[in-house]
Amino acid sequence: MNGDVLSLVGKNIPKKDAPLKVTGQAQYIQDIKLPGMLWGKILYSRYPHGRILNIDTKRAERLPGVKAVLTGSTIPDIKIGFMKDNPPLKKGKVCSMRDEVAAVAATSPEVAQEAIELIDVEYEELPGVFDPVEAMKEGAPLIHEELKSNVLKLPWKLICGDVDRAKAESAYIVEDTYKTQWVTHCCLGTSGCIASFDVNNNLTMYSNTQIPSLAQRDYIDALNAFGLKNKRVRVVQSVIGGGFGSKLDTYPYEYIAILLALKTRRPVKILFTREEEFFATSPRQCTLTKISQGCDREGRLTFREMEMILDNGAYTSWGATTPSVMMMPISSLYKVPNVRYTAKCVYTNNNYSQAMRGYGNPQATFAIESSMDQLAEAAGMDPYEFRMKNANEPGEVTPQRFKITSCGMKECIEAVAEKLNWKEKRGRHNGRGVGMASLIHVGGGARVYKSDGCGTIIKIDDYGKVDVFTGSTDIGQGSDTVIAQIVAEVLGISIEDVNVINNDTDVCPWDVGVHASRTTFVAGNSALYAAEKIKAEILTIVSHMLGEDVAFLDIKNGVVYSKRDKEKSMPLGKALRSIHYATGGKMLMAECFYDPANENFDREFKGNLSVSYAYGAHGVEVEVDRKTGKVKILNYVAAHDVGRAINPMLLEGQIFGGGVMGLGYALGEEMVYINGVLKNGNFLDYKIPTAKDVPPIETIIVETVDKDGPFGAKGIGEPGLVPTAPAISNAIYDAVGVRIKDLPITPEKILKALKEKGAEKLDEA
Amino acid sequence: MRRFEYHKPETIKEALGLVTSLNNARFIAGGTDILVALRQKKAEIDNLISLRNIGELKGIEYGDGLWIGSGTTHTEILKSRVILEHYTALNDGVKNLGSRQIRNVATIGGNICNAAPSADTACPLLVLDAKVLIAGINGERWVDLDGFFLGPNKTVLDKHELVKGFSLPLFPKNTGSSYIKHTRRAAMDLPILGIAARITMDDGKEGATCREARIAMGVVAPRPIRAYETERFLVGKPLTEDVMEEAGNIAAREATPRDSIRGQAWYRKEMVKVLVGRAIKNAMERMGL
Ligand SMILES: Cc1cc2nc3c(=O)[nH]c(=O)nc-3n(C[C@H](O)[C@H](O)[C@H](O)COP(=O)(O)OP(=O)(O)OC[C@H]3O[C@@H](n4cnc5c(N)ncnc54)[C@H](O)[C@@H]3O)c2cc1C
Repeated sequence: MNGDVLSLVGKNIPKKDAPLKVTGQAQYIQDIKLPGMLWGKILYSRYPHGRILNIDTKRAERLPGVKAVLTGSTIPDIKIGFMKDNPPLKKGKVCSMRDEVAAVAATSPEVAQEAIELIDVEYEELPGVFDPVEAMKEGAPLIHEELKSNVLKLPWKLICGDVDRAKAESAYIVEDTYKTQWVTHCCLGTSGCIASFDVNNNLTMYSNTQIPSLAQRDYIDALNAFGLKNKRVRVVQSVIGGGFGSKLDTYPYEYIAILLALKTRRPVKILFTREEEFFATSPRQCTLTKISQGCDREGRLTFREMEMILDNGAYTSWGATTPSVMMMPISSLYKVPNVRYTAKCVYTNNNYSQAMRGYGNPQATFAIESSMDQLAEAAGMDPYEFRMKNANEPGEVTPQRFKITSCGMKECIEAVAEKLNWKEKRGRHNGRGVGMASLIHVGGGARVYKSDGCGTIIKIDDYGKVDVFTGSTDIGQGSDTVIAQIVAEVLGISIEDVNVINNDTDVCPWDVGVHASRTTFVAGNSALYAAEKIKAEILTIVSHMLGEDVAFLDIKNGVVYSKRDKEKSMPLGKALRSIHYATGGKMLMAECFYDPANENFDREFKGNLSVSYAYGAHGVEVEVDRKTGKVKILNYVAAHDVGRAINPMLLEGQIFGGGVMGLGYALGEEMVYINGVLKNGNFLDYKIPTAKDVPPIETIIVETVDKDGPFGAKGIGEPGLVPTAPAISNAIYDAVGVRIKDLPITPEKILKALKEKGAEKLDEA
Repeated sequence: MRRFEYHKPETIKEALGLVTSLNNARFIAGGTDILVALRQKKAEIDNLISLRNIGELKGIEYGDGLWIGSGTTHTEILKSRVILEHYTALNDGVKNLGSRQIRNVATIGGNICNAAPSADTACPLLVLDAKVLIAGINGERWVDLDGFFLGPNKTVLDKHELVKGFSLPLFPKNTGSSYIKHTRRAAMDLPILGIAARITMDDGKEGATCREARIAMGVVAPRPIRAYETERFLVGKPLTEDVMEEAGNIAAREATPRDSIRGQAWYRKEMVKVLVGRAIKNAMERMGL
């Protein structure tokens, strides 16, 4: 197949749903209304830490239009989340400002809001703790008293080789501390769901989740806990206005909608306002990282040691598992034989954290790649040469037992250096500077769950039109288009003839979810194999009809034809109708459940997490105003080893989007929590970059054609933002000689560092 | 959001009548401040009186001075050649105000009457010696813009008065003005600090001295302020690097910024030092020296 000329793979095909989106016809959760539907609203906590002494809902209940009011003590006892530490409505105690305390269902959102304001809650405020380091100290307020400690019992520890010996033998060692900030996903589409029960208490959830199959399971568990055993749950996804990891879990509001629907016997919709989207969804946590790295006299890395503290917030979602993915760059970004890493997730009275695009990788890579520049300087090497010397290569097995197959890391680093004119621009220290950083990410699925699979069902009608039912979700990235391209390519039909259905658990097979940049690879392979199956069946039958050896048959432009005999051909539709309308006729269907041959980590957190790995490097040229500390990005180059670009335009979209998100992370975005209270929950004060802030990003696509990927493709969903912050930070250092070690890199921080450096110089003189 | 009645008068007289007779009434021009306040429950309003259909409040006129109707949008100001050439600071002020969508509906009257310390047209109008024409049910009055602001969201306007517009004088030939908006983002951002300067030089030649200077600062005090001491310092001096630097230092002493999540006080003061000089330089360049 790969040897043949490809007609759709590799082409810039616009997103299939683009016309729907630009004409406003796409149905987001905001657009969906059901007959008899009620509106739910949630009352959140007034304090970051406190005892709930009393909740009086009488005034709310009496308000005309109010159909149900729920509190923690009027719902069944359940706890949700990865550590099962989070009741959908809190009872006895609140542990963060985002804590859900009561909920209302009413005939309109306005009435529901009014009712919420009529609920009287009496609290006894408790002292809170908002910093994970403080929270680990003896005598710190306990978030969950029964656990006796604020440190989560999660054993994040990776040891490869002998770090102590390597340290003793290293020629150069650098050590430093890096900090990252709280940031949030900023999905354009806010969170929401509609819960609806039928007469038999089967549940339909209309949702914008990015994990339909796992969410279905969560809801089934919840229904069981509510006493509704053996019920069916159907998850129907609306068009989703961005995920970025924010919809990787099920959240209190969804269970609240279910409980309200159960109580009122009517569909209940909960839709977040933008304010709620800021303070009541789970952001990427802040981290504190101690790193030391060493190299030998020739500049070969000898060891890497990292200790990390993560603010978990008050409850636990997947945020607490990001250290498992951080292990990937820590053990395997560049060749580093000896590695030691420990991480602690700590409860505080902040909002609880969630994974976000990159799943911990951006935080870890900021420390690693900043430290790489420091080490290069200590060793007297150019950071580019230093990176090239240590870059990963195909065929390598990393200390964490990753088997590196395709790997274009060196090509990426070289391409970035060339485009930036590195040799000439580096080291001028005249207010302009260049910097770079690389990345590794999973590119062939990631076995973080028991299964990393995705199912596909394909059916083809009498006219050669295809429906593809995939488990995998499109959250805006364009996976529907990529899957359609793959199927159309295999079947030799046009992309318009492929319809992708990806939003209904009643008809779509299982999939673990949109995460780990896995969709093109896993769902793509699943679709590819299903398409190949159905194609084989078509060709076998047609070979009898045409009296031609199946080995010489193929399909192109909707025609089955012989590659050696022009006379032998048949339009696909005609062939399909002949197969269908015959005695013992057949409608063709095929399925595939593809689960990549990757490994769960063993007890030591080792194993081949992904079938293949994605690489990349970003390079930046900046200009720093020494008087104001402002940074201007003059040039931005992003090189990515993607295996193969199935749709270069959509792929670049992922790189641009990632780059912009990374830029925000590096230079502006920060959730300002003061004593647990979010102070900038709006787009005025939470500074995501605007179109005017984004420099032109030059993309370089490196195609290494991965042996396991669909047409050679690897993942690209997350990599675009992983190396942005260290690349910018390294460039700023090159420009003005100050290194900012806590994100975001604001003008204030740069100016302060410049002044301190100036004062030091004066002291020396 | 609280429910309100919406009124659409077509004359100033009608508008003033409505605002005097209705309960909890407020004017709305572009609505880009007032609607935000309503949604955030920072304003209790039962009646909104729209100024959008009142022709008398619109437009820019240039003759023996400049007249800008309060209902003029920022986009209209941005398009004015006269303003670009003779009142450049104001062009600077609206250039990066909000976004194109905001500039298309938001008005200069709203920006000034809202009286935010960060209002982007305030510092430019202050250095351009703007006077405010206020109309009430009992007649009209003129107020210097510097005397118009009282504090954050507070002005000398009586709640039954409206602003008709702004009058700016003609300036001598050797005059240039500028405004620097210091922000974190390139668009959709409020200034961390705003600095405006107007300089009139003795004559157009190199080595000339400053005849008149105006410096105004935003976000360094509860309201946009003039830096009077800095202005006095500049008059009679040649505007050398040293003089501009000293002007920055004096202005920084006149500034009393606070720490906020948008910027720290020390940084704002530091930026006053830097940007006063830059604003003066920009003003001088526009003079065609
Ligand atoms: C997204 C966004 C971005 C923004 N960016 C900026 C920015 O960069 N810089 C900046 O300075 N501002 C910014 N603003 C604030 C706002 O757009 C400006 O202050 C604008 O000029 C207000 O004008 P308006 O016509 O919309 O005022 P309105 O909201 O209609 O009115 C504001 C206030 O003035 C009163 N008022 C209006 N006209 C009169 C009158 N003629 N007489 C008496 N009272 C009157 C109203 O009663 C109200 O109290 C932004 C706002 C938004 C929503």
